[in-house]
Amino acid sequence: MKTIIIDPVTRIEGHAKITIDLNEDGSVEDARLHVTQYRGFEKFCEGKIYTDMPALTARTCGICPVSHVISSSKACDTLLSVTPPKAAINIRKIVNLAQIIQSHTLNFYHLSSPDFVYGFDAPKEDRNIFKLMQTHPKMAKDGIELRAFGQKIIESLAGKRIHPTGIIPGGVSNILEIEVKEKLLQEIPRAMKIAQNTLKYFKENLHKFQKEIDSFASFSSLFMAIVGEDGSLEHYDGVLRFIDSEGNVLNEAIDPQNYKEFIGEAVEDDSYLKSPYYKPLGYPQGMYRVGALARLNVATKCGTPLADEELKNFKALGRGKPVQNSFYYHYARIIEIIYGLEKIEQLLRDEDTLSENIVARGKINVSRGVGCSEAPRGTLFHDYQVDSNGIIEKVNLIIATGNNNLAMNAGVKQVAKAFIDPANITDGALNRVEAVIRCFDPCLSCSTHALGIVSSQIELRDHHKKIIKIFARN
Amino acid sequence: MKVIIGYGNELRGEDGFGVEVIRKLQFLIPKDIKLISAFCLTPELILEMLDADEIIFVDACYDEENHYALACSILKNGSNLSHHIQPQILMALMRDVYEKKVDYSIYSMLTCNFEMIEDTQKYYKCIDKVTSFLIV
Repeated sequence: MKTIIIDPVTRIEGHAKITIDLNEDGSVEDARLHVTQYRGFEKFCEGKIYTDMPALTARTCGICPVSHVISSSKACDTLLSVTPPKAAINIRKIVNLAQIIQSHTLNFYHLSSPDFVYGFDAPKEDRNIFKLMQTHPKMAKDGIELRAFGQKIIESLAGKRIHPTGIIPGGVSNILEIEVKEKLLQEIPRAMKIAQNTLKYFKENLHKFQKEIDSFASFSSLFMAIVGEDGSLEHYDGVLRFIDSEGNVLNEAIDPQNYKEFIGEAVEDDSYLKSPYYKPLGYPQGMYRVGALARLNVATKCGTPLADEELKNFKALGRGKPVQNSFYYHYARIIEIIYGLEKIEQLLRDEDTLSENIVARGKINVSRGVGCSEAPRGTLFHDYQVDSNGIIEKVNLIIATGNNNLAMNAGVKQVAKAFIDPANITDGALNRVEAVIRCFDPCLSCSTHALGIVSSQIELRDHHKKIIKIFARN
Repeated sequence: MKVIIGYGNELRGEDGFGVEVIRKLQFLIPKDIKLISAFCLTPELILEMLDADEIIFVDACYDEENHYALACSILKNGSNLSHHIQPQILMALMRDVYEKKVDYSIYSMLTCNFEMIEDTQKYYKCIDKVTSFLIV
């Protein structure tokens, strides 16, 4: 049997599929996520001038282009050996947090909320955004409003909602106008109210999902995130920290420029997504998780009052250890939305942000620059090698989602083993296999931001890896 | 008020059709028509459309057999919500969430090339045709 699925091709920029392998007894032996598209950014950026890199690499993604622009610009800052002025750094931080708000909002309200509202076993015709619009229009409206606020900040400060052009090597290209600042500040209380209502809703309904909490990629792993000098939550600048599943700090303060000493990148035959791992433990034992869950596990505090208050509740779930259940990515993302709004307010109120000194100029001073920041889905690395004229000779990108590849695969396997009964495969079980991936909110060049089709298809294979059934998930 | 939304990725060859049309329209169309160009359709675009009484989407649409044909209201398969949602989903959001029903149409150029502009002459002719049609 052969199934060819052509989805709306004009907009799809990525594909993934899941394979579930059965053993000789007919029970689930293994399950894997395969990213079946090749994009080649690392290769086709070679030969370009470094100043083009922020705009070029932003096109990696339509959801988190800001992260690419920021990591790219930071790599270029290093090439120029310049430190952007404080106003520029503040503006970059605001824009980065705005993107985290809009991206996390998209995941919660538009992609994952049907599962929360109707349950994982609800008929699939009900488990979608259309039904949600009809039964919970306020929730749908809140999602639109909160996301629009994030987009508005990006547009106001960086020029465009998607693929912004205002963040450049050495700083930013536009000052923050006082009128813009006041307008944005006025809208924060409303956005915060929505975020807090979201948190309340999520916590009130959490008890319904104990089985999913226990089985959705709930296992021991390392965690990696950027933290500030004092160990606080940080998304723009800082040092890399690895902790183990007990909460022990393995590496407290890795300079992102030296990431290659600690992160290896394995390549599997059946996926174009690389599998980064923690080098000292080797592959695949060095599996680690990144993203909102990892950031809150690694950080000792958020540094803003409301987020810190909720962080205590979050950390209590781990009973003194890191929270291992990937279902809580959803919880962590909501806390980060609250943090983002608080932090944006702080940064907007900082008088230095209004300064007209927004860019540091320079020429190529070093031949290699690494830019690292926290994207919505995790730590993002841009590593450029240039010649003396600033022409790109080599590029290495570790995309946030890629860091989670090993963990996503382990999660898919865990859920398949827990929920898939090969003799009676239900839609609810298949939905859970996809939903575990949605916990990580992967961005396989954006295409997996799809409700109900995290994968285009799920293949069931026998112990000879022969396909015995294909479930088209759209 | 009429709102015209052209969307697509200009780095993906003929996928940038909708954006090109908007670029051309901005010099030709009366000011009371709102023009929006976007990389992709996103839910919050609705907030830009709430005061519209007619909405036109301009897009490139996958078709292997009728390259450079122009079509109105091609409905694509599927109804998935993603960051690149379809016009129908935006309109359903408007109807169900904002209780606003607006007439809309989709103008599409059919293409199977999302890597490059295959025939520049034909491609720009399509842009001219749709632009001319929309300014009438």
